[in-house]
Amino acid sequence: MMEFKLPDVGEGMHEGEIIQWLIKEGEAVKQDQPIVEVQTDKVNAELTAPAAGVVKKIFFSEGDIVEVGTTIFTIQEENDVSVPYKGMIDEEIQVVQSGDVIVNAEQITTKQHHEVVRALATPFVRQMAREMKVDIEKVKGSGPAGRITESDLKQFKENNSITLEDAKHHDSKSVQEMALMNDAIQAKGVENEWEERIPLKGIRKKIAEHMVKSVSTIPHVTHVDELEMDRLKEFKNQLKEYSDDKDIKLTFLPFFVKAIVIALKEFKTLNASIDEKTNEIILKNYYHIGIATNTEEGLIVPVIKNADQKTIFQLADEIKQLAAQAREGKLSIDQITGSTFTISNVGPIGGMHATPIINYPEAAILALHKMEHRMVVRDLEGVIRLMMNMSLSFDHRLIDGVTAVHFTNRIKELLENPIRLVVEMR
Amino acid sequence: MVVGEVAVETEVIIIGGGPGGYAAAIRLGQLGKSVVLIEKDKLGGVCLNRGCIPSKALIHTADQYQRLNDLGKMGIRLSQERTAMDLGVWQDWKAGITSQLKQGIAHLCKENGVTVVKGQAAFLSDDRIGVETDGDFETYKFEQAIIATGSRPFIPSFIKVDGEYILDSTSSLQLQEVPSSLSIIGGGYIGIELGMAFAKLGTKVTIIEMANRILPQIAENLVKEVTRSAKKLGMNIKTSTRVEKASVVDGHVHLHVSSEEKGAEVVVSEKSLVTIGRIPNTEEIGLNRAGVTVGEKGHIEVDMECRTNVPHIFAIGDTTPGPALAHRASKQGVVAAEVIGGLPSAVDSPNVPYVIFSDPQIAGVGLSREEAEQQGYSVKIGKFPFSANGRALATDETEGFAEVIVDADSHILLGMHMVGADASNLIGEGVLALEMAARVEDIALIMHPHPTLTEGWMEAAEAVLGHAIHIVNK
Repeated sequence: MMEFKLPDVGEGMHEGEIIQWLIKEGEAVKQDQPIVEVQTDKVNAELTAPAAGVVKKIFFSEGDIVEVGTTIFTIQEENDVSVPYKGMIDEEIQVVQSGDVIVNAEQITTKQHHEVVRALATPFVRQMAREMKVDIEKVKGSGPAGRITESDLKQFKENNSITLEDAKHHDSKSVQEMALMNDAIQAKGVENEWEERIPLKGIRKKIAEHMVKSVSTIPHVTHVDELEMDRLKEFKNQLKEYSDDKDIKLTFLPFFVKAIVIALKEFKTLNASIDEKTNEIILKNYYHIGIATNTEEGLIVPVIKNADQKTIFQLADEIKQLAAQAREGKLSIDQITGSTFTISNVGPIGGMHATPIINYPEAAILALHKMEHRMVVRDLEGVIRLMMNMSLSFDHRLIDGVTAVHFTNRIKELLENPIRLVVEMR
Repeated sequence: MVVGEVAVETEVIIIGGGPGGYAAAIRLGQLGKSVVLIEKDKLGGVCLNRGCIPSKALIHTADQYQRLNDLGKMGIRLSQERTAMDLGVWQDWKAGITSQLKQGIAHLCKENGVTVVKGQAAFLSDDRIGVETDGDFETYKFEQAIIATGSRPFIPSFIKVDGEYILDSTSSLQLQEVPSSLSIIGGGYIGIELGMAFAKLGTKVTIIEMANRILPQIAENLVKEVTRSAKKLGMNIKTSTRVEKASVVDGHVHLHVSSEEKGAEVVVSEKSLVTIGRIPNTEEIGLNRAGVTVGEKGHIEVDMECRTNVPHIFAIGDTTPGPALAHRASKQGVVAAEVIGGLPSAVDSPNVPYVIFSDPQIAGVGLSREEAEQQGYSVKIGKFPFSANGRALATDETEGFAEVIVDADSHILLGMHMVGADASNLIGEGVLALEMAARVEDIALIMHPHPTLTEGWMEAAEAVLGHAIHIVNK
């Protein structure tokens, strides 16, 4: 019997969430056949069978959080000759030919015919589990010698009710936490349940940890400026026919990426990080731009590698693909790590200003806000322009306010005058 | 069945009024279901009428009778006249017990709104059943049904039970006189229980068992005491012996038996009793018309909710695979009723206790040492002999011991077994302990009343932990 332990498929991950079992207990599998989908640090990983055989036991349900190194299933290998004890022996009257009777005792035995596997719990707790529709075999006991107590059951139910039962009603395996929390509050409000507790886990937990680390390490300062987008819009429109021919949906984002990369090359501390262990500033001569993307799973940051070496169209294409993969939860670790600067594009949703939190250990993050026509003053006259705000949060250990303003000014210059952007592009 | 017949409609039909069937009926009544319980013979089934209760009445009588012989050493002087046993009077006494119990069941059924119908039932389809009563035929339409038809003694084809010379367990309990000699085919628990009872009443008993020891299903260490006691009672035990032929010659039964050791021989006795097993009553109730499938050995496979392959038809008790024991049937009956009533019930434990009314009694629950080891446990055993128990000495019942089997890693109890006086009652503690998932310490730490035999469990548990008080811990 081979035990399959949850491996560290991420970068030093400690736990993963079982997203989906692709096989059932008792099913025969081939070597390298996908067995289970596990959610690690923002990535879904498909784990495969280490050997051919029969899946004997699955220890966790979908939605369970499992620590690295825990056995999640066992495989009886093909050439494993050990026969599991069946817990039953038929002792029946054996009638041999010609009416010859082997005298045998009546059926009375301590062995049950059926293989009833009893969880280590009192009859009342087992009954309670049935009432709560909890598979008691999956509950971990906290009592003496692993006995399952009433509170174990309640806790299990609490931890699993949302991911297991409610999630079934959602088409996607999404979580969901926020949406569900809203649903739950609305649904339960009338039942006098004023609050609901949902375990902080999965991506949400990762995001939380990441944010705390960022804010508690980096002294954040946010600087806001506005951009006039009319010319860029016009420029983009001029390219529309050309991009349509290439079957590329052109958005503003690739232009931002380009402008930012140009500015980053000039303001190197914005494409940097601090190594706290060695007290060194790391200036990066590569430009990997993270694009914070809202997915149903939560905030994911796919990374465009070497953005400085790509054309506007190449960037557009890559952004589209990464966003799609992010929404499907199909990004690999490689695709979500290693960014040197992050863009948070919240514009499509709305909002004027923000204090974005830096994607640790980077030095800065730029949030792009809603684009809208606003009354502005030009040459002492009120005119209507397509305006957009951007909020830059930066690491004040590395970057002074002046530098930050120069940086956004440069971006502004390039985007408000697309010709200059084109000229500066490599 | 005629066209246009009117079927009586009921929510649940139960076929069989034994300990499984009537328990199910009463529970369903409690749950507010309309229930029709069909019994072809007598309420209470085998258990009450021909099995557990009458045999225990006989065993108790035989114990009392034999006890008289041992009273001398306690200073009780009986008159020198030979004590006589009148089995005819005993039959009346027994009839009184079973009658009282039957009335009790009938009363409970009535109070719970259960309609009891006497007749022979057979499925007509998966929602209709026909019941024949003294030539009348009535059909019932049901939403759910419970099959609780029980089992009957298995008799090999070359033996004909005539009820006079060759008996089955039923007819052996209807004897009006104590036979002078009795040969019992089968050394299982029924053969041993009845054999020992008759031996105590003065019958010369011969047990013929195919296996190499009596009670072959029970762990060998538990059976030793019983074998010794049987020999003391003068019983002749022939193991590894098979019966080839049975015939009645000049008012005596001639059993032709053979064994490797002694070759062929003929056992002659006044009467012979066949107790080699039971087979489920599943042939004549039209299961095929209901679509219920039956296994090779006549048993109906069920799930933990006692459902058959037809989801609205349930089966319980001896008709299902597993030990043919009344308490298993009753538990299943209640579970099936509760499932029908919409409750989340299930037979969710492998712990089916067993009780053998031999002398001394054997009772147990959970795994034997061998079973535990086979299942891969590393096992610790604690044993405490009755001979070290004050109460056992004071009541002159020092045979036997209590044994606890423990998982060495977790100290969770895996099995509790006992040989000795009143083991049948004492096993209750074992059943409770195992079902509560107790550790051996739980038994050891409980204050057990003194002076009682229950102290045996405590001491056996302490023995596992290496600190029993009344024996030397090795």
